[in-house]
Amino acid sequence: MILAAGGINNSILVVVFASAVVYGTPLLYAALGELLAERSGVLNLGVEGMMLVGAVMGFWGVQRTGSLTLAIAIAALAGGSMALIHAFLVVTLRANQIVSGLALTIFAGAGGLSSYLGNDLNIADQPAKHMFSPFLPKGWQSAEIVGPIFFRQSVLVYASWVCVVLVGLYLARTRPGLNVRAVGESPAAADAMGINVVKYRYLHTIVGGAFAGVGGACFSLSITPQWVDGLTSGAGWIAIALVIFAFWRPTLCLVGAYLFGAFSGIPFTFQARGILSGVPPELFQALPYLMTVLVLVLVSTAGARRRLGAPASLGIPYVREER
Amino acid sequence: MTAAVSLRGITKRFPGVVANDGVDFEAAEGEVHALLGENGAGKSTLSNILTGLYHPDEGEVRLHGQPVSFHAPRDALDAGICMVHQHFRLVAPFTVAENVILGDHRGEGKKFTVNPRRIERRVAELGERYRIAVDPRARIWQLSLGEQQRVEILKALYRDARVLILDEPTAVLTPQEADSLFETLRVMAGEGRTIIFISHKLHEVKAVSDRVTVLRAGKNVATVDTADATPRSLAALMVGRDVAIAQRVEREGELGEPVLEVVDLCAAGDRGGDALRNVSLTIRAGEILAIAGVAGNGQRELAETLTGMRPATGGSVSVTGKRLRGGDSREAIRAGVAHVPEDRLHTGVAPSLSIASNVVLKSYRGSTVTTGPMLRLRAIREQAVKLIARYDVRGGGPELPARQLSGGNLQKVVLAREFEGEPRVLVVASPTRGLDVSAIETVHGFLRDAASSGVGVLLISEDLDEIRALADRIAVMYEGAIVGELDAVGASVEELGLLMAGGSGE
Amino acid sequence: MIRIERRLTQPRWLTFAVPVGSIVVAFGFMTLVLLLTHHRPGHTFVRLFDSGFSGTQSLNATFVSATPLIFTGLCAAIAFRMQLFNIGGEGQLYVGAITGAAAGIALGNHSGWVSIPAMIAAGAVGGAAFALIPALLRAFLSTNEIITSLMLNYVAALVINYLIFDSLSYWRDTSSATAKVFPQGKNLPEAASWPVTHAGSLVLPLGLLIGAVVAALIWILYSRTRFGFEVQVIGDSPRAASYAGMRTRRKILAVMALSGAVAGIGGASQDGDFRHTLDPRGLTAAGYGYAGIVIAALARYNPFAVCLVAFLLGGLQNAGYTLQGADFPSGLVGVMQGLILFCALGGELLVRYRIALARRSRVVEVST
Repeated sequence: MILAAGGINNSILVVVFASAVVYGTPLLYAALGELLAERSGVLNLGVEGMMLVGAVMGFWGVQRTGSLTLAIAIAALAGGSMALIHAFLVVTLRANQIVSGLALTIFAGAGGLSSYLGNDLNIADQPAKHMFSPFLPKGWQSAEIVGPIFFRQSVLVYASWVCVVLVGLYLARTRPGLNVRAVGESPAAADAMGINVVKYRYLHTIVGGAFAGVGGACFSLSITPQWVDGLTSGAGWIAIALVIFAFWRPTLCLVGAYLFGAFSGIPFTFQARGILSGVPPELFQALPYLMTVLVLVLVSTAGARRRLGAPASLGIPYVREER
Repeated sequence: MTAAVSLRGITKRFPGVVANDGVDFEAAEGEVHALLGENGAGKSTLSNILTGLYHPDEGEVRLHGQPVSFHAPRDALDAGICMVHQHFRLVAPFTVAENVILGDHRGEGKKFTVNPRRIERRVAELGERYRIAVDPRARIWQLSLGEQQRVEILKALYRDARVLILDEPTAVLTPQEADSLFETLRVMAGEGRTIIFISHKLHEVKAVSDRVTVLRAGKNVATVDTADATPRSLAALMVGRDVAIAQRVEREGELGEPVLEVVDLCAAGDRGGDALRNVSLTIRAGEILAIAGVAGNGQRELAETLTGMRPATGGSVSVTGKRLRGGDSREAIRAGVAHVPEDRLHTGVAPSLSIASNVVLKSYRGSTVTTGPMLRLRAIREQAVKLIARYDVRGGGPELPARQLSGGNLQKVVLAREFEGEPRVLVVASPTRGLDVSAIETVHGFLRDAASSGVGVLLISEDLDEIRALADRIAVMYEGAIVGELDAVGASVEELGLLMAGGSGE
Repeated sequence: MIRIERRLTQPRWLTFAVPVGSIVVAFGFMTLVLLLTHHRPGHTFVRLFDSGFSGTQSLNATFVSATPLIFTGLCAAIAFRMQLFNIGGEGQLYVGAITGAAAGIALGNHSGWVSIPAMIAAGAVGGAAFALIPALLRAFLSTNEIITSLMLNYVAALVINYLIFDSLSYWRDTSSATAKVFPQGKNLPEAASWPVTHAGSLVLPLGLLIGAVVAALIWILYSRTRFGFEVQVIGDSPRAASYAGMRTRRKILAVMALSGAVAGIGGASQDGDFRHTLDPRGLTAAGYGYAGIVIAALARYNPFAVCLVAFLLGGLQNAGYTLQGADFPSGLVGVMQGLILFCALGGELLVRYRIALARRSRVVEVST
């Protein structure tokens, strides 16, 4: 059963792991971005919207310019621009962060700006001119077990690993990283020590949006690769949950992203193989969401919350001159 | 001596109030200069202007004769001005070392990367040099308030602050810790730094400062050499009239039956561990028992446990002989325990709701204001109107949101509501914090009236003057236990201070 | 230099002017967007308005669109008033649709007087029960209700899909030949079809009327009862509520259940008023729950305002469906809704704060 025809590289485990990496990558990008925003104290629920706008603009980018690099840059820019709206509303105008993030999802998500652009730019129902595909030598790709999982991936996947390391180092070992953590935990203390709270929150929210845009582009430039309305089908929401699942730590984001990615891919793989055909695919598809709830419950216990918990100022606008 | 710091004509307005009104202020190098005034006189505002947190509407700031304009706290820090606030500006999950170096952008701080071992070593060296002992690797939430204050001072020393401002620094210290702080300050002044010491405590000002500037209602009313001033003269300047320092009013009449009996009460703290350890006390009808102690020794938890906001882990609480289950504020309210909490704005009232709503905050279930599940809004309003008149609450009518009341009037509403509930026991915590002198007098009058009408009053306060003026008996709390109980009449500050610091009263 | 100061008092007129003003400003932005993408703003807006509001046909269609939005709007308003961010209206509506359809199918042989109240009750119970999951987690384990209710939306969508597309459940139509190939839900019996009320030539669905009644009841509950008083206090200051002896946990459960129940009735209304079957595709595509949150926020959580805003946005939504096609920008509805909400959020600032321009040391007050 486990070792089907085609050798070990075609076995269930390997296929599942490989697809976990594929489906988990957009989640990882979006989660890293949201992690940065939340570390600065800004909750951005508009991830789904930002991913979709990144996806559609990235696709348009590759159709228009033929360059994948440019397309990714455009996707990042698009996501960042969406995040700028949210940042302006919640940092400068002190709006409620939850409502603003939801508004962003409605504005930019399926049935909103991304659909508008997809329609107006006439890019639906076309195959991508170029896409991100595996590029390492064929020999490596067919290596036992590690081949399909690690070597048969696109540059987007490898870049995501680099991002995990960079974000981790940034937060733990650099001055700006220390500053942003201070802003997220205690904006009053950070402000009193001369750190520009507004600047840090804007910057990290926008960068968060850029990451989300790239995450969306993973779908339209690699996984699908096409533009379809509502392409990401909820990945943005999973990314939000993922940040909590990962206790706001980049390395755990990686683990969580692949875990959730696995559960997304499993239904199709199992179905194709006729495994567990009695079990409805919806059950597997529901697992990531249920798992998130479970993790959330565990994190919420008081002891865990203090050691592992959210940045203390998450969701609360910072006002300096309030009496 | 050159004036290190000079403020001229500083005016700062907030909606509804002029916090600083044309204030001139000067402090020299190597001087410890006290800034004295009641709560609301404008001391914090002035210092916030000096540290770049606020911008003055009018006036100018000069350092060593050069005019400066601060657009943000960073500018003041760069100019060498550091402040130790009442509420520490520390990041709780960070280590001491991380907090000390936070935001520093000179020298070491210019580097992009952060090396934890290195900064911990630097901070340890600094601590040794000034004999301020704190573990650089400890996380702030693990430290006591006194230790946290030391971290704040380390921050200033790390930046080689030329001007250090301390805002009510001894509020969280025992008398002995305060003395040690004063020594540190004198050392720093000896190095040529300027120390500005904000306080409303007269004896401290006398103890540590070279000169005193008194603020009243936003204006500078006097600057005197400390040696020439007496507590009485300073107090007169502070309030604008000749006032006697808090007088005791002897209670007339007999004490009644015990209304509150607490036996071996234990409760857990927020961070695990025991907040209350076998606390026992008894209060009789008409008696005022004060709990003295430095903040953070279990007083808050005691108030919360007695009023049902915190569950007990052992022992018992009985009100007029009936034992309470505990952990249920409604039960306590029904049993006749009234509570004026420390945080009157965020716990004692619902700040955005009207005065009328807050008047019935606890009594809204009663038959006078409801018909079945429906509220009788008119009856509620009438009740509020009566209460406002009877207790002279100023600031607005019953529809006014509670947060718009001044501190004193807000406290009147809370006290009035609690008192109207005809309680047997009244638990009040830091009732006069942040209030001006006339409000303080009013509150003290309230408490005495409550006692004389047969209520047993538990007064939790950090203000020894207040305690000695009001209480019949004083119990001192230290690390969650009662370490001594004295009759108020004979109790001396030294004895109390010793007990507060954990020593035995001998 | 711009300074932002908290207002001491909030002038009454601002609480109306701001939502209205934000809609106007949003239209302004929309005009810009349309111009930049080579559509004609005037033409588009006229078509929008026509399809949404002019003529009885448009109005009737708008009533249809507005009905679910009233329910989900009230659902959000009920919870958000107490600072309970129930994002799960979407899923609670689905579950209400499931339980409501079950009641309708089961009692199909009885008269409308039996089956319709049963559907309403079933819908309410289903929605309430589903909302109790995040409620219990929040009340007893302090788990953040935003994420839990959100995740459950997806679970509910998967359940409703499963019932019709991947199983032979009670709700699935297995009778006709086509039904075996193209999965669809059983048609609800005649008796379970909710009646309409005619007002002149206007056709008012039963759900619309129920929604209006529920709105009035909620208003009374929140402003005139002890229950509502406690909700106000807890929403304003949980510490004050616990100080005053209020049972916060019980309130959380009650308010969430109420919130879910209302969304659930909305789901039952979808079955009984409009779709006459359990329709996963239609329901999951519509996004009523999320739109409801927008509506509630715009209405500043006032039940009557929710009805009004639901009507307006329902018209917008309806116009969007009607006009969908090659010559009308798709996604316009989402963009418009988003813009309106952004402007309303920005306008909030003006209600709570005042903007003062300061030139050096002179203060020039500019309140806009």
